[in-house]
Amino acid sequence: MQRKVANAAVPVAFGVGFVLLWEFFVRWREIKQFILPRPSLIWKEAVHNAGFLRSAATVSGTNALVGLVCGIIIGCAVAMIANRFKILAELVTPLSAAISAIPIVVIVSILNNMFRIGSEVPRRLMVTIVVFFVVFVNVARGLRQSNATQMELMRSYAASPSQVMKKVRFPNAMPFLFTAIKIAAPLAVTTAFVSEYFGGTQDGLGQKIPAAMANSKDPLGWAYVGAACVLGLGFFIAANVLEYVAVPWQRARNSG
Amino acid sequence: MKHESHSPNQSLGQPAVVVDNVSKVFNAGGRQQVDALLDVSLTVQPGEFVSLIGPSGCGKSTLLRLIADLLSVSSGSLVVNGKSATQARLDQDYGMAFQQAGLFDWRNVAKNIELPLEIRGWDQAKRRERSAEMLELVKLSEFAAHMPWQLSGGMQQRVAIARALAAHPPLLLMDEPFGALDEMTREHMQAELLSICASTSTTVIFVTHSIPEAVYLSDRVVVMSPRPGRITATIDVNLGGNRNDDTREASEFYGKITEVREALRGIEHVGGARGIEDR
Repeated sequence: MQRKVANAAVPVAFGVGFVLLWEFFVRWREIKQFILPRPSLIWKEAVHNAGFLRSAATVSGTNALVGLVCGIIIGCAVAMIANRFKILAELVTPLSAAISAIPIVVIVSILNNMFRIGSEVPRRLMVTIVVFFVVFVNVARGLRQSNATQMELMRSYAASPSQVMKKVRFPNAMPFLFTAIKIAAPLAVTTAFVSEYFGGTQDGLGQKIPAAMANSKDPLGWAYVGAACVLGLGFFIAANVLEYVAVPWQRARNSG
Repeated sequence: MKHESHSPNQSLGQPAVVVDNVSKVFNAGGRQQVDALLDVSLTVQPGEFVSLIGPSGCGKSTLLRLIADLLSVSSGSLVVNGKSATQARLDQDYGMAFQQAGLFDWRNVAKNIELPLEIRGWDQAKRRERSAEMLELVKLSEFAAHMPWQLSGGMQQRVAIARALAAHPPLLLMDEPFGALDEMTREHMQAELLSICASTSTTVIFVTHSIPEAVYLSDRVVVMSPRPGRITATIDVNLGGNRNDDTREASEFYGKITEVREALRGIEHVGGARGIEDR
């Protein structure tokens, strides 16, 4: 416990020092607000507009979360099916690689044309696609790396392929799944922002940040950026907590 | 601890395992063709404890895997518990333990032991009852709710043995199960295994590369030689039913060790015996 506090102390001190340095630097050099606002001003704007910040963060957060969950479920499902039927693996792997190589801008524009104006579906679909790829690649690798002794045991029990998948392969791939989720969670948030920026309703953080900046409300824009940071960090922490709870044996292995 | 009769198919007088002229070739016809086993014949009677010993590459593990139907024979025939090896596997007529305990990290100790029963479709109450019985047998009752990674190597191996015996199979196949344990734990586990086998009247085929281990445990030690793998000698041990720590210091024990060692030396002149532990 004491070591954990000590571990946290360094980054916290760094963060506080950074903000203080920023505040004094801006005041000392008398930097214009539209170039770089002071943290204290940003904080004031954030408190003043807390309601707007919260509603924008809720919209983006919901988009990211829905896409994240869908992407994880589909990614796991396709990885499992591809593990059973090799032909599918050969089809899905290049296809998903090709899709992930297309810039988000392009896919979002196409998706926006497919759904009615103001729909949140295109953004969520975009997040789903990005998350799917990360989860699929990692879980597929995890499913392939099964322990030889455990596989021989399952064969000696005359277990069916679906029993092997459910009772050995998938649990074995869990650490890989959580590695993927830790990468995908913040990625889902940024993908939601970018998708919101390119068309659709004006309610998410991806719209609010450039809109505030364009209206010379720079401190407010920065407050939205701060909200975006908090949202991304929240997703990352949630993913880590989930891993801690769901894969305790990984923790035991890491600690020796 | 009393065990009910094992399998209806196991009639008295019928051998537990019959290996008849079995050969196994890996990569047949390929450039890296390996004759793992050549014309091996072996009959194991119910309740017998047979060790397979020999240098690395003599095919002892391969023979065990053929009996377990984890591999299939290239030629010859195999009868396990009165049926084909495949049928015996499908009926879970044997339990198996390896050098690696191979416990499932995401299941606690009791759930690990219950896995083969779960796959057989036993209901939960029956599984619970059986895993409790098995834990008592391997003296780990208070660890039922522990996770595998919270146990020592010796305890993990005991759980693996309990799991192998959970379905009360008439036959236990073991591939160097104590190979990764330290000497003290190993001797302790050997004594435990003997008492478990005595109380369950299980037939055991035990692969090892330790001469004292083979002699201490077995009714019969089968000596194998490599390239191609075949049986070169069979030594009856008969150290009696009540083996204990004194047995390890008895002169008959040393006599049998010498006998097995000399049988293995015979191989040395042919192919070179490596990987045999003399201790």
